[in-house]
Amino acid sequence: MRPGAEPGEGGQRFGHTELPPEQAHALRRAKRLEVVTLVYMASAVAVVFATAGSSQAMKTAWVEDSLALVPPLAFLVAVRFGHRRPDADHPYGYHRSTGVGHLTAAVALLAVGLLLAVESAMSLARAEHPPIGTVQLFGQTFWAGWLMVAAMTYTGIGPFVLGRMKLPLAEALHDKVLYADADMQKADWMTAAGTIAGVLGIGLGLWWADSSAALLISLSIVHDGWTNLRHATTALMDERARTYDDEHPHPLTRRVDEVLTNLTWVDDSRSRVRDQGHVFHVEAFVRPVAGRAPTLEQLEAAVSVLSDLDWKVHDVVVMPVRDLPDTIPAPD
Amino acid sequence: MLRRILPLVAAIVLFGGCGLLPSDFPADPDGTLDRVRTEGVVRAGASPRPGWVEVATGDPTGREPELVEAFAEDLGAEVEWTVAGEEELVRLFEAGEIDLAVGGFTDTNAWVDKVGLTRPYVSTHVLMVPMGENAWQSRLERWLDDNGGG
Repeated sequence: MRPGAEPGEGGQRFGHTELPPEQAHALRRAKRLEVVTLVYMASAVAVVFATAGSSQAMKTAWVEDSLALVPPLAFLVAVRFGHRRPDADHPYGYHRSTGVGHLTAAVALLAVGLLLAVESAMSLARAEHPPIGTVQLFGQTFWAGWLMVAAMTYTGIGPFVLGRMKLPLAEALHDKVLYADADMQKADWMTAAGTIAGVLGIGLGLWWADSSAALLISLSIVHDGWTNLRHATTALMDERARTYDDEHPHPLTRRVDEVLTNLTWVDDSRSRVRDQGHVFHVEAFVRPVAGRAPTLEQLEAAVSVLSDLDWKVHDVVVMPVRDLPDTIPAPD
Repeated sequence: MLRRILPLVAAIVLFGGCGLLPSDFPADPDGTLDRVRTEGVVRAGASPRPGWVEVATGDPTGREPELVEAFAEDLGAEVEWTVAGEEELVRLFEAGEIDLAVGGFTDTNAWVDKVGLTRPYVSTHVLMVPMGENAWQSRLERWLDDNGGG
């Protein structure tokens, strides 16, 4: 927390939005887990690098593990910035930092995934036979492949556990960077399993097993990158707010119009709800009954009804109009 | 899709691997070790390097050729020598025409992405082997551990 920023309930906030206890708790936990992730993945990167040898699958896994450092970093940086209050130069606050972090992570994933896919496809096409000899460790001589299998087992376990722990936090915080991170980590054990398969394949004399595993892993990185790039881009383009996993339009987008239309003085309502990263920006246009202008009290009440819907509804504008603007399409 | 394929591949190789593991692991994709054992011939390349590989008339002599002769004897095989420059030896490896090569090579030599190198058997010195013939390479490395130093 910055000096001079007064803590609210739970001591956590996004911009000027105080977080409810559940979210404040989730945020503290998410930050801790992301630091654990950084430390664990850094150790995994070191272990895989030390044992990679000539296996293409191991090299690919090494790059993927290094890339796994990007989303936690993006999350921690984004939360740090998103925490700031709006100022004169940033009247909407710093919530978009999440979107920037998301886009950065997505581009990194996609670019590196493509590079690795080309590299593995080429070593497959050239029919390269990866050499894995023996190592001497603690006075024992054994096949170096076993060391790689051990390294990948270590690398696979952490993300499997951490990803599952972070997923519910991403939902509570409506944080898409955290979601992307958790979702990718949840599937990371398959990278480890694929790499182990490749290395054991080499051991069986199946030279193609290694580069095939590498190719599948890099295609899964490309897939992650592409999905995240799509979601990050559409969010930055002010797409209608969606759920934390981008599966559905967010239910709040509908609730806003329902709640406003239920007010006695409102005849009809049409709104735009966009996701600024964690919190929503709501612009609602309302047509009063019989064209009578609402009082300031009625407008203030309308704003506070919306704000009470959810902690995420944070920046609300209610505008009385004679006719609903036809530039805003009706929700489907 | 991919996420369903990867574990499947993993499972196939893992289960397949468990059945085959005891026989010859790691295995040679091109069967070098088996061939040496059955045919009784090690096709060795040598590139002259004073102090390591001496070439006059007849078979190469010196520290490393002697190692190769002793390794072949351990496998019950004879050595068939080819004397050539490094580049030619690499070509012979790629064509699958030699099984190992000596020439005072070190672990920082420039052919590392075209030929396999053994673990250094003394300071930084290595022997060249065909790329990815892992049973052969492992057999040679273990033998060098016991007989290569000093």
